[in-house]
Amino acid sequence: MLRDSDALIAELAGVLEPVKPLRLGEGLALSLAASALSAGVLVGLLGIRAEWLAGHLDPLQLVSTGLFLGLAVAATVTVIAMGRPQIGSYHGGWRWATAMAGLLPIAAAIVAIGRQAPSFSPELMRHGSECLAGGVAASLTVFATLVWWLRRGAPTSLERAGLVAGIAAGASGVFAVSLHCPDNDIVHIGLWHSAVLLVTAFAGRFVVPPLIRW
Amino acid sequence: MALSQQGDKQAYAALLEASQRWLQRYYARRISPSQLDDLVQETLIALHTKRASWDPARPFLPWLAAIARYRWVDHLRRLYRADEHELHEEFIGCDDEPELVARISLQRLLNFLPPAQEQAIALVKIDGLTIAEASAATGQSESLVKVNIHRGLKKLAALIEKE
Repeated sequence: MLRDSDALIAELAGVLEPVKPLRLGEGLALSLAASALSAGVLVGLLGIRAEWLAGHLDPLQLVSTGLFLGLAVAATVTVIAMGRPQIGSYHGGWRWATAMAGLLPIAAAIVAIGRQAPSFSPELMRHGSECLAGGVAASLTVFATLVWWLRRGAPTSLERAGLVAGIAAGASGVFAVSLHCPDNDIVHIGLWHSAVLLVTAFAGRFVVPPLIRW
Repeated sequence: MALSQQGDKQAYAALLEASQRWLQRYYARRISPSQLDDLVQETLIALHTKRASWDPARPFLPWLAAIARYRWVDHLRRLYRADEHELHEEFIGCDDEPELVARISLQRLLNFLPPAQEQAIALVKIDGLTIAEASAATGQSESLVKVNIHRGLKKLAALIEKE
């Protein structure tokens, strides 16, 4: 036994300090602020899409950016909720958003296979790598915010919380990159932008659990 | 708990005492009696350190049960057979639990596991048998017992907040 239970209770009650309950709105606001900061810095450094300034909107680009934004919000809300455990809570909403965003790499692979022109020239690879690196870099602020939130909270499924935090951060990073990236090709968006999610989800799954264990 | 979050020490002490009694009953039969007090105290400490994660707009018991399940699964993961892992006959608690408590009980969590995994965890991690003894009792090979324990604990960890 660690110590006498009555003594433990007296000790815990003696050191009690007021705490502010974790609020869903607070966590969401912090995460969105972190996402906005990343997007602002990235656009400030690299510039916003030139075609937007010219008043031209590409449908594919709008749909894909919207999908990643929706995934970022859904996964972020899930992570925020995971910090406040409750028997009976359902944390599966992010799966549907991930499945929808998963259509992009599938469509990209189909188009790339059927396309006559090469989809992986050195120039395209270089541009794709830039988007990958930019997306991962832009995801870091959201990633750090969500890990900080989970450390304050009491997530009961550490691996899943890490995975979803990685997806949320990655989707937020992709959204930020989409504000700059001038490429409207489905192969580029579906493969390179989605690759950001793979990297951050993998990192979240394996890096986050030791950081939030309690 | 709402008063406790505001710093009311008297209300908090009463809450901890009530939680301690509830946890004693909650963990009964799901942990070796020699480990029971340690686990209850670990859970009380977790309640203390994570008290900000309770939402005052939601009921307290499902939150406490989630904390208790997490600590229980973590305890089983850390548990290695020791000499004192004899299962004693005396148990604390009773079987006539209210409906809500039954709904969030540990047995309900175990019921989500395939029978082979539940059996392996119960025999080795709760009853304190060796891998070889559990293998003989279940007819599973020793390596299969280990695999079932590993997979079962992983699944339990993922199911903690499931009803």
